[in-house]
Amino acid sequence: MTATSATTRTEREQRTAFSTLPVLRRWMAEGRRSLLGWSAGVAGVEVLYLPLFPSMQSPELAELVASLPPELVRTLGYGDITSGAGYTQATIFGLIGFVLLTIAGVSWGAAFIGGAEESGRLELTLSHGVGRVQYALESAGALAARIAGLGVVVFVVVAALNGPCQLELDLGNLLAVTAAWVCLGLLSATAALAVGAVSGRRSWGVGAGAGIAVVGYVLQALANNSESLDWLRRLSPYDWAFGTAPLTNGADLPGLTLLVGASLVLVGAATGALARRDVLG
Amino acid sequence: MTLAIQTVGLSKSYGSHEALHDLDLTVRTGSVFGLIGPNGAGKTTTLRLLLDIIRPSAGSVTVLGVDPRAGGASLRRRIGYVPGELRLDGRIKGGALLRHLAELSGPVAPGTIETLAERLGLDLSRPVHALSKGNRQKVGLVQAFMHRPDLLVLDEPTSGLDPLVQREFLAMVREASANGQTVLLSSHILSEIQQAADDVLVLADGRVVAEGDVASLRIAGTRRLHATLTGTSPAEIRAALAAVEGTDDVDVTGTAELVRVAVTVRGDVDPVVRAIATGTIRDLTIEEPDLEESVLDLYARAKEAS
Repeated sequence: MTATSATTRTEREQRTAFSTLPVLRRWMAEGRRSLLGWSAGVAGVEVLYLPLFPSMQSPELAELVASLPPELVRTLGYGDITSGAGYTQATIFGLIGFVLLTIAGVSWGAAFIGGAEESGRLELTLSHGVGRVQYALESAGALAARIAGLGVVVFVVVAALNGPCQLELDLGNLLAVTAAWVCLGLLSATAALAVGAVSGRRSWGVGAGAGIAVVGYVLQALANNSESLDWLRRLSPYDWAFGTAPLTNGADLPGLTLLVGASLVLVGAATGALARRDVLG
Repeated sequence: MTLAIQTVGLSKSYGSHEALHDLDLTVRTGSVFGLIGPNGAGKTTTLRLLLDIIRPSAGSVTVLGVDPRAGGASLRRRIGYVPGELRLDGRIKGGALLRHLAELSGPVAPGTIETLAERLGLDLSRPVHALSKGNRQKVGLVQAFMHRPDLLVLDEPTSGLDPLVQREFLAMVREASANGQTVLLSSHILSEIQQAADDVLVLADGRVVAEGDVASLRIAGTRRLHATLTGTSPAEIRAALAAVEGTDDVDVTGTAELVRVAVTVRGDVDPVVRAIATGTIRDLTIEEPDLEESVLDLYARAKEAS
């Protein structure tokens, strides 16, 4: 239209080179502090719990667990708590680590689209040279990268404590359970992303992501306690991740596939929703 | 004549609420176009439709020759936009935010961000959440101007800015225009539109109530007339003014010795002055036609007509 729009080829090439994944990189740069905080939290829990294991390998603890109501033991997943793998699963991956990961992932997922829209940031960003599909996909990528970062922290700290705490974990199995843990967190996080994208509201995203985590946990706990309700575990993402005890038995590929597949569907839903609707403040 | 923006029958509804009704807007390439109207008139809705932030319920939009939805990211690289409710939060520094946005809409010539920031008096090293409203608005202006877009879409761009910075902003608009860039700005600060715009469109309740060049709107404007009279009575003046067409808000006070008159005049002042000249005019002031009063007046007339 005027001379100002004339961009030479070199300029365009520079731009392409310079702005590879700009949205993802901004989320990662802004998330450093948050990622560091959650990493410290997860590592702290590991450092707090895992060194207790040697002192818990006692007949007294086995007796104590045996004396608890079997429903409680099954709900908490303490059935195998006297082995290193069982203890690590029950305390870190299956419980506190799971809770921390879910809170972090859901809060990020809900913030990236729903929260950004509420804060007015999305309007400003989307008024620039970025498409909605690109924005949603790069945000999902940043979500996966942050959660994978937590996975690296969990793996490294458990692996480092493996010897000193006499956990006797197989590193391949540790990798398998870390993958399951990361994918389980990703599912709740992408649910928060998708519902945030559909509703434009951060709080709805948080509700959806947390809801999936809680319902998944409850379903598998019910299934553990009743043979007639055993079918419920098939609906539980928590069971998809940990049902076959990957820390003891190795990777559960069908379970991982289910988790990753469901996350991809949710990312697709987030992208489709954002691309189609009005962005409001 | 090429058009930077053209809308035909553009409408936008939210549920049963019609925010914009049947808007035909044409903005010439290289012109400065002012969009004015009271709050809730549909100004922000119109501008968001141009940026594909929201989508029309009916009608068509062409921006720089393409439909905003089809034009996508490559079209928006050619537009600079200041949102009406610019909110910035987070620990990100002003400079870092601008560099991020420059990555999206670039290329930005080296040094442009710094030059613009210096011009507006913006400290780029402070986190955006710690900035005052005026300084956030400066960030908004820099990000709109920095990549020298063909089209600037500015929604209430001077809100929160102090008068000196407002003047600098007007200079930037003039330079952009001289440079061949097209500027569409909305405002409720009418002096801004008077100083900056070539053409004006007045919106109220989502409908066009007037359009044309700024000069013609001023002629149609309303003025407030104040007079102090002797040798007459309030009753006599009231009666005389009641006979004159195009008068409003008649306020006559005082005694037989000294009568004070204030009256809003639409159109010609001559019959009003003749009417009050039954007494001796001791003092007379006629205020400059005010665009805001003109808008309200146009709005009222448009309502009566509908």
